Amino acid sequence: MNAQNAAIRITNLSKLYGNTMAVENLTLNVQPGRIFGFLGPNGSGKSTTIGCLTGLLDPTAGQIEILGQHFDADNAAIKRRIGVMPETLGLFDPLYAHEFLAFVARIFGLNESTTRKRVTELLDALELTDSGKTLAEYSTGMRKRVAFAAAVIHSPEILFLDEPFESIDPAGVALMKQWLRRFTDQGRTVFMTTHVLETVERVCHDVAIITKPGKLVWQGDVTVLATDGKLQFNGREFDALEPLFLHLTGERYKDLDWL
Amino acid sequence: MNFELIGTMIRLRYKLLWANTRTRNGKIALFFAGYLLLVMFLALLGAGGTGAGMAAIRSGKGAVLAGAMLTGVFAQGLLASVILGFGMATIFSETELRRYPLRANERRFTRHIIGIVDPFWILFLVLDLGIAFGLYLFGAGGFWFGLVAVLLLFVCNYVAARVLGMLVQRLASQKFGAMIMLALVICIGMLPSLLQPVLKKYPAIWQGLKGVWQTTPPAAAGVAMTHLDIGALQALGVIALWTAALFALLILIERRPPKAAAVHDTKIVFEDRMDRLGRIFGPTIGPLVSHWLRFYFRNNRFRTIYPLALPLAAFLLFFLSRQDSSKHSPFGGPFSVALAIFGIIGFIGTGQFAVNQFGYVGGGFRRFLLLPTDPAAAFRAGSYMFVSLSGALILPAALLFALFGPIPSNAPMMLMLVGTSVMSLFLFHGIALWTSVLGPRRGNYKQALGNDLSFVGNIVILGGTLGWLFLPQLLIRGDSAALVRSYWWATPALALAAIIFYTVSLRLTTSLFRARREEIMAMMEGKG
Repeated sequence: MNAQNAAIRITNLSKLYGNTMAVENLTLNVQPGRIFGFLGPNGSGKSTTIGCLTGLLDPTAGQIEILGQHFDADNAAIKRRIGVMPETLGLFDPLYAHEFLAFVARIFGLNESTTRKRVTELLDALELTDSGKTLAEYSTGMRKRVAFAAAVIHSPEILFLDEPFESIDPAGVALMKQWLRRFTDQGRTVFMTTHVLETVERVCHDVAIITKPGKLVWQGDVTVLATDGKLQFNGREFDALEPLFLHLTGERYKDLDWL
Repeated sequence: MNFELIGTMIRLRYKLLWANTRTRNGKIALFFAGYLLLVMFLALLGAGGTGAGMAAIRSGKGAVLAGAMLTGVFAQGLLASVILGFGMATIFSETELRRYPLRANERRFTRHIIGIVDPFWILFLVLDLGIAFGLYLFGAGGFWFGLVAVLLLFVCNYVAARVLGMLVQRLASQKFGAMIMLALVICIGMLPSLLQPVLKKYPAIWQGLKGVWQTTPPAAAGVAMTHLDIGALQALGVIALWTAALFALLILIERRPPKAAAVHDTKIVFEDRMDRLGRIFGPTIGPLVSHWLRFYFRNNRFRTIYPLALPLAAFLLFFLSRQDSSKHSPFGGPFSVALAIFGIIGFIGTGQFAVNQFGYVGGGFRRFLLLPTDPAAAFRAGSYMFVSLSGALILPAALLFALFGPIPSNAPMMLMLVGTSVMSLFLFHGIALWTSVLGPRRGNYKQALGNDLSFVGNIVILGGTLGWLFLPQLLIRGDSAALVRSYWWATPALALAAIIFYTVSLRLTTSLFRARREEIMAMMEGKG
């Protein structure tokens, strides 16, 4: 992996909340033009890492470089070139979808005619044409689609998606996957977290798996699985992501005889 | 009834309340709440009851006096709960309680038991107990009748507040609900001064009104507390009937959920008046200002309070101007009242939102931090919006005063009054910057009325309002014409100082906002 040309370069990233280390010394590179899956069990530091990568959170230690530049919360120039779909979506409930998207587009510097064109096209493509409802009245899936539209409306070079596929119907997932592939075909980068491992296998090019607290335990190319290849770890081979993930994260659930 | 499960839910409610004290803000709130409650408990139990008892014995009108005091307490309970939102917190909603194996009447019972066993309502119970106890202590009332009357009245007060709160909530969510409420508030406020001459001219009306009042729960409680005969039982029956009727009304309202507004396809409009207004602030801040305008003008609470600002100020101006302005009176005369009112105009329309600027954005706070702007740009834009909206009320207020004011005005006087408004505008909104960053609190966007402010926010709002309302009247007395001639320059000069304060505060709080943004984000998303 070529660290010099990485779209995202994380070096010794740490984040402390009070006395709790959420991410400890994470070092990771993401190549441009790839869909990168960032996986880990609950509470392993995925959202914290994305928070640091998108300027929501200030790292306690370490360095982040995005598109070759040092990145922090004040770097508006880099923020203009990335799109983010946070796990909590970050929507303003009293607004209508078109108002919200137009607001985002204008803040990202799109001119008025481009704003109107893209908002209309996105609403149409994502089937969000119910213009009588505010965002508060949308279902979870519709809200996610609005958040996704807000992340892509300004054609960012890097897309950060925190659990994008959960609660979206199969048609919506298929559309998003199609867009993400086209996105990376144009040399742009996607960094996403998700728990849906089957989707990761089909969509992602590279995957990193972390355990608490943000400790990288595996990173590799998962496209080999599409050609009946195997994933390697410590001399062992895995023919799917799930057994590798469970092996690495050590998750064991106690069997309950009454359940 | 599954009393065991209901008891578990009640215990859970208090565990949650106690859990809130694990945060720093929670500990501060607990300390002050406990301290204040203890002080008020002792003071009111003693002073209220003793005073009532002694006055009742001396006057020989125990029932009427007790009833009048209880009516005052009852009305305070209604106003404080409906307007300020005290004691109205919904700890468990109907939807949340449906997760548990409780029937509909059990869920209703749980919600209201949790609602009534609230420190705010306990305070009112203490007030009522103080009156009953004082009457008993001085031999003007019976212990058991008094106790039963207090308990029944306490429940009646709570149920009445719930019913009124729900009706207000439903009205506020209707299309012209805010305007209707505005009209009602003005009418109720002007009623005493309108009724006074009528009652003097036609004393029979007063007797009729008194007769009606005697059938109300507080008046009946006064009778029950001061009688030991069948009259007391009848009075208790009146309170019980009222309570039952109000409870039936409460159930009726709860069973008829608010009609969801019919969904009409809204034509997609990309530029409305909010966007045009926002453009005044330039291409960077403008979209954020437009956003804030749109956000707040869709909030029922804001739409109720902001239009009320000028009418309320006008009402206070005329009401307080009529008060006695003699030497020994607390009121300072029409000019000092005008100064006080013009001071309040500077912040009354936007005050409770400005002190907790991000309180209603919830998860949207995260979106502000993801935008390609300085993280504090949204913070500044919000403040500019509040200052603009409150500032927009000053010139109309000045014009209305010049045309219809209770005293003749001249240019130096108008300059003084406008200067006062500008001073309070920037002083208050400068302080509001600090409270938004240091004392934010997550609020409920959908609630039309209520108190969503932190302890600090409440101090600023209540202290600021009361201070500005009464301080000029206490300090400024005497010949207003001479005052204006000598000191017309004072408030404009103070306004300039206030603008400097606001500018400096904006700079300092912007840095503080960047440093505290993670904490504020956690709070707004319910994690802090």
